[in-house]
Amino acid sequence: MVRSALAPRGGGLARGPHRAALSIPAISVLLASFTAALPIVSLNGWWPDAGLLVLLAWRLLRADAFPAWVAAPLGLVHDLLTGSPVGLSMMLWPSFMLALDVVDRRTMWRDYWIEWLLAAIFLAIAEVAEWQVATWDGAELRFATVAPAIIVAIFSYPLAALLASRIDRWRLGR
Amino acid sequence: MVASAGRRPGLSRRAQYGLFFGFVATVGAILVGLIMLILSLAAPSTYAAVRGVALDVTAPAAGALNEIATTATGLVSGAGNYWDAARQNARLKRQRDAMLHRMIEAKAITLENIELKRALSLRERERGTVAAGRVVGSSFSSPRRFAILSVGTRDGVAVGMPVRAADGLIGRVIEAGRFASRVLLVSDRANIVPARLVRGGIPVIATGRGDGTVDVRPLEVGRNPFRRGDIIVTSGTGGLYPPLWPIARIVRLDDDGAIARPLADPGQISFALVERPFEPEAIAEAARAGDAR
Repeated sequence: MVRSALAPRGGGLARGPHRAALSIPAISVLLASFTAALPIVSLNGWWPDAGLLVLLAWRLLRADAFPAWVAAPLGLVHDLLTGSPVGLSMMLWPSFMLALDVVDRRTMWRDYWIEWLLAAIFLAIAEVAEWQVATWDGAELRFATVAPAIIVAIFSYPLAALLASRIDRWRLGR
Repeated sequence: MVASAGRRPGLSRRAQYGLFFGFVATVGAILVGLIMLILSLAAPSTYAAVRGVALDVTAPAAGALNEIATTATGLVSGAGNYWDAARQNARLKRQRDAMLHRMIEAKAITLENIELKRALSLRERERGTVAAGRVVGSSFSSPRRFAILSVGTRDGVAVGMPVRAADGLIGRVIEAGRFASRVLLVSDRANIVPARLVRGGIPVIATGRGDGTVDVRPLEVGRNPFRRGDIIVTSGTGGLYPPLWPIARIVRLDDDGAIARPLADPGQISFALVERPFEPEAIAEAARAGDAR
């Protein structure tokens, strides 16, 4: 029998939540937005929006990861870092949070497939909104140019979900 | 698994108020975001200062990481250079000899050109490079095509200046922070470059397609003047881009135009040169166009 008293320190008992457990979800979204600073020079904008992916992953993992309004300042910072029109994510992200609150009231059961489907819908909405705003901004792109971006974003969601659940376990000390 | 909706406040009046005010705050934030979005579409210069600061925040990280990435790729491609070195050496020597001949020819033509211009007493404004910077990032998750350059207002960069690499035109500066600036690439949909075909000098318009290629259309409707492999260069019309900068090579023809690939790939070039606008008045024009962007 393994005696917990003999286990290495911090290994078994006496492990509670991380001191900053409440703010870690928001900070992780912020860090994901900072990936915009990576020296990736791409000819097509098919890379996924890391900030939005992590935000959705947290929100679908837990309803109480952060209050809905926190998504607005996170979206503002995301807009500034990625260079998209200021206010786009600031408007979209809290709207997604409210929409997911409504979805939570309506759905009785939830499994990974439904979460992925919900994430796919919101990721597609975000890409289409970005495309529409670009059109208003003087760049009338064909819709075919954003379709690959939507597909890439949808297929990178499980990665973000995995990341969020790992961070969640770490911050809660489990 | 049951959905983790459960922030039901129960009978606690305090919890009910908390939820309600949280909801009000969220709706308020959405409205503020909407207003800011409308503002940034109607008058983008509103956020010029704060966006410049954001650029400065992201650029150093990108620059530092860029060094690492360049070193790593340099190690791989550098090792490749030692492979088959003898044959490569012979080929490079042949190329150098051919280039030398071409260079002498070009020098003669330049000399002739200078004399002809003097004869016509054409005056050309002094042009020069404002700053040279690295491409340290891009808008890789957006349908728009921007690149981030590691030079800013501190180096003399201003909004509206054209940017080129040794291979050809890259785009123009649309936002300038203190240490970094954002460049609207040739392949962005909103970037319209007046150009002409090198073969025949037919005036054309180059518009980005958002996926790294450029749409080229002749100004005059009629027979499709393009052939695969044609090079287009800037025409100098509009006064922003100086004339005769290479832009792109035609890769595919379509009904009334062609699709071209820019000669300068922002992902490959090591340095980008920020230059003065061809006509100084154009920079004010570009600033106004930036407002309408």
